[in-house]
Amino acid sequence: MHMLSQIVRYRVGLILGLTLIIASLMVPGFFGMTTLSLGLDRSSTIGIIAIGLTVLLIAGQIDLSVGAVFALSGIVAISLQPSLGVWPAAIVGVLAGTACGVFNGILSVGFKVNALVATLATMLIFRSIAHWATNSQPVGGTDIMFSVAMARIYLDIFTVRSALFLAAILLLHLWLTRTVSGRNLFAVGSNATAAEASGISSSRTVFLGFVFASTMAGVAGVLQSLATNTGSPVFGSDLTVMVIAAVVVGGTRLEGGRGSALGTLGGVLTMASLTTAMEFQSVPAYVQQVVAGLMLILLVVLDRTVRARPRKHAAAVATA
Amino acid sequence: MTNTTAAIQSEGTNGRFNRGSRLVDLLSRAGLALAILAIVLYGSLSSPVFFTTGNFVNVMTSMAIVGIVVVGMTFVLVVGGLADLSVPATIACGAILSLALQPMIGPVPAFIVAVSLAGFCGLVSGILVGYVGINPIIATLGVGTIVLGIVQAAVGGVIVYGTDPATAVLVKSRIFGIPAIVLIFLVIAVIGNFVLSRSFWGRWTFATGGNYSAAEASAVPVRAVKAGAFVITGLCSGLSGGLLGLTLQSARPLVGTGYEFSAITAVVVGGVSIMGGFGSVPRAIAGLVFVQILTNVMVLQGVRTPVQGFVLGLLIAGAVALDVALRKRGVA
Repeated sequence: MHMLSQIVRYRVGLILGLTLIIASLMVPGFFGMTTLSLGLDRSSTIGIIAIGLTVLLIAGQIDLSVGAVFALSGIVAISLQPSLGVWPAAIVGVLAGTACGVFNGILSVGFKVNALVATLATMLIFRSIAHWATNSQPVGGTDIMFSVAMARIYLDIFTVRSALFLAAILLLHLWLTRTVSGRNLFAVGSNATAAEASGISSSRTVFLGFVFASTMAGVAGVLQSLATNTGSPVFGSDLTVMVIAAVVVGGTRLEGGRGSALGTLGGVLTMASLTTAMEFQSVPAYVQQVVAGLMLILLVVLDRTVRARPRKHAAAVATA
Repeated sequence: MTNTTAAIQSEGTNGRFNRGSRLVDLLSRAGLALAILAIVLYGSLSSPVFFTTGNFVNVMTSMAIVGIVVVGMTFVLVVGGLADLSVPATIACGAILSLALQPMIGPVPAFIVAVSLAGFCGLVSGILVGYVGINPIIATLGVGTIVLGIVQAAVGGVIVYGTDPATAVLVKSRIFGIPAIVLIFLVIAVIGNFVLSRSFWGRWTFATGGNYSAAEASAVPVRAVKAGAFVITGLCSGLSGGLLGLTLQSARPLVGTGYEFSAITAVVVGGVSIMGGFGSVPRAIAGLVFVQILTNVMVLQGVRTPVQGFVLGLLIAGAVALDVALRKRGVA
């Protein structure tokens, strides 16, 4: 049992390693700088949303509306470009994401609606607004050169997006492991009543978690729209399962109280290299969806069945 | 706050939806009837086509397709299973397979195979939720993604068309002026109501949703009951998808998109508690009638589709928030 729980503990690394081996066998030149930097660039979309969702999941909540927020904030950022200019429009786009998070927070903290149901409803609402605002047509931006600049590769490997993502992961790691508010987050997620009793306002923490998750989805949406110079109401419709799968692969528990920034990084890279490998083999999009769904289900089942029995190890792992 | 698990676990301490307070009960029931009456009144005043037979048949037909899913979804909510998000996938499974298999094994076996496969998908979700103990929304979201992918892969990701016009005529036929689909829906609703309110299975469903530990202690097979709700929903939405496919004589992979929301909205608006342990099929159908007539009035008024989605989303959020508020007041 000890062996097994060790495997479970380091499964992120294990899964990532396996995926990388498979990917390098399937894709010639997988470890070439160009492939790596492109892979990293596209993984940063999932990654930035995953950062927000990691925080929210640790707090014991979930947000199913991130895909819709992703689309909506991108549309806001692109369609305001003619009147505000590129930068202010981008900021308003991110703020639109924040506003969505506030709405989610009010619903689930203020009205005490179950987070899954609340964000299911707001997913429908935000997606409808996105279709409404754009007449269900993609909108184009004003400055095509800006998206060229977004795609430029610095230092052989980083694009603006992937650098932002990696920096954000580092900040998240420091926040979760070194600060009081990071520790409070874990406390709220593992036992809200106990956290409340020790003087942590759990509803405030959860509310801010929702705002943070939607803001990050907004950032990812704005970056994606800037990079493609397009805002579309159908952007991100298949992102939700991908992102939740990435976060869960990274060892964050759906029930809250456990998770880490580096785990999420591992999960995101796993999903990205899987996608790259499958696309290279021209596997159809719906089969890729099957793989993402299977990963999600298998890991959640693994988490349930293995973690539940060896209580002592589980406790040790949880504190590690 | 682990809302989902806490909601399931704390059922015992928080108490159930208060059945003692008749006032709250009456209010929620009469409120819906009044709302339906108001929307019918508004519809008949604002649009000349609202009270025509053609429009009535249209509303009934679209209500029947969603309604079959609603019957299954009621079981999921009452048993405390939150919601089944694999409905679009199981509908697509029913619609695509019942058409795609027609040339190979004939229309009736194709229909049966499609519905039983949809039921099997429900069984997979049910085992994951009931026996493994995975959060229902995550489990059904994952299973739905997988099933939709497999179904698409099976037919090569294209639109399939029906090859047997006779079945289409049969499905579209009318008995005493009522479309056959509507009759099928009524039969399913009556069976569903009987099972939920009169049979041992229904009692177990209420017991499991109301107080999981107490039900388990009273030797109710809680895991099987929970899994069963998802099997029922899988079968129902497979049936609904099959009928939809036969009616349209074509099915694309995204044919079922949005039906999960329509069904959840109907059930929740009908006053079935998302926390489990409370609700009935007639209530859910009352919610369905309200939502369908509201949608119909919006369509007749020329309201655009996105706005309709917006209103549906607000309705879900509002109805659940109201349920939580009423529950609290009832307990206090």
